[in-house]
Amino acid sequence: MLLTLDLNDARPLHEQVAGAIRRAIGEGSYRPGDRLPPARDLAAALGINPNTVLRALRELRDEGLLEFRRGRGVSVAGRADGRALLAQRARELLEEAKKYGYSRDDLITILEDLT
Amino acid sequence: MKARVIAVAWWLLVAAALLLAPLALRDRLPDPLATHWGAAGSAPDGSSSFTGHLITVEILWTALWLVMFVLGRRGRHLRAARVTSWSCLIGLGVLLLGVNASTLAVNLDAATWHDALLPGWHVPAALGATVVAMAVAGYAGRGPADEPSAPVQAPPRLKLRRGQRAVWVSRVVNRWLLAAVVLIGAGTVVAATLQLGGIAPEIPLPGILPGAVILLLAGLASMAVSVTVSDTGIRIGFGPFGWPARKIALSAVESAWAEERHPADSGGWGFRGLPGNATIMLRGGECLVLRYRSGGRLAISIDDAERGASLVNALIAERVRT
Repeated sequence: MLLTLDLNDARPLHEQVAGAIRRAIGEGSYRPGDRLPPARDLAAALGINPNTVLRALRELRDEGLLEFRRGRGVSVAGRADGRALLAQRARELLEEAKKYGYSRDDLITILEDLT
Repeated sequence: MKARVIAVAWWLLVAAALLLAPLALRDRLPDPLATHWGAAGSAPDGSSSFTGHLITVEILWTALWLVMFVLGRRGRHLRAARVTSWSCLIGLGVLLLGVNASTLAVNLDAATWHDALLPGWHVPAALGATVVAMAVAGYAGRGPADEPSAPVQAPPRLKLRRGQRAVWVSRVVNRWLLAAVVLIGAGTVVAATLQLGGIAPEIPLPGILPGAVILLLAGLASMAVSVTVSDTGIRIGFGPFGWPARKIALSAVESAWAEERHPADSGGWGFRGLPGNATIMLRGGECLVLRYRSGGRLAISIDDAERGASLVNALIAERVRT
């Protein structure tokens, strides 16, 4: 599982981790039924607290993306929800837009012009 | 083609020897024959009829030969696979010939099978002949050295943005070894409980325990492998807890790629090869291959290897060279 975190991202870390896992599943590196690496391994690799990773995993479970099974660890329950993935991309796009001095409304205008 | 002819000729030769030698000596052999000796001494503790023994030996040889022949057909282009295949094929034949020769020798001119006493040197002699045959066959069948396999396509790359931390975590578990470890562990616990509880005091616990512990530790260490790639380096963790672990600095690696490899290519399951061309093979299929700057390489059977390789290459390009 390939996870990327943006070090300049101001969002809480658990949200970023949840986003990274959602993206990894959405990109097709994991299919429903596949087991995720243990939270401990992910946390050690990212250099963060295992509880942060667990919190992110719980968020994704509540979203229906992951499922926790006793003794079998965490596995992918379903395909990444298209809407959740889009929301995430949009959030990243918004961050990027802000970097160039565009506001949310400017971005909406750009999107409207696209059709 | 030539290899197949030699393998079939070897099967015929051994099968004929296993059949003709007992038939030629039939008049001087007891029926039933002594065919099994206990661990304790030279007196036989098992017998089998003359015809039954012949049939068993022929079936055993044919079955072993077939397994070796089928397994040996994979990975013929690799030296390690050729050496393993030839030494097993020839070695097993020599072992069976040795065991059979020993059986015939001790049964020769015995009145009944109970009188067929096994001299102590027969078993080491048969094993020694097998080891020598394996070494010679492996050496003779080694063939030309492997061509250094260049990565088939350009190594996968990944773009890392500035200020981004990327990690890759993957693992692979060998379910058969996991099951074996659980079985050995359960068996050891049951045996220890029965013996210490006084229910079955005849169980030789001190004899079993060291072997069981070694098997358990070896099984545990090789049942699972986890690999982590991050900007601090590559970490290979063995066993279910990712410990012990081996760390490889990114600066020591030249490039990485994913490759399909199978146990037959590397000489079997487990930790294979020598430093410089080693393989950690837990299952056939996708492997992550690292090439060191020193020229050696390391292959690890692991899921999602392509993505891992791309991150290794990206990290080398951006974190090491700049």
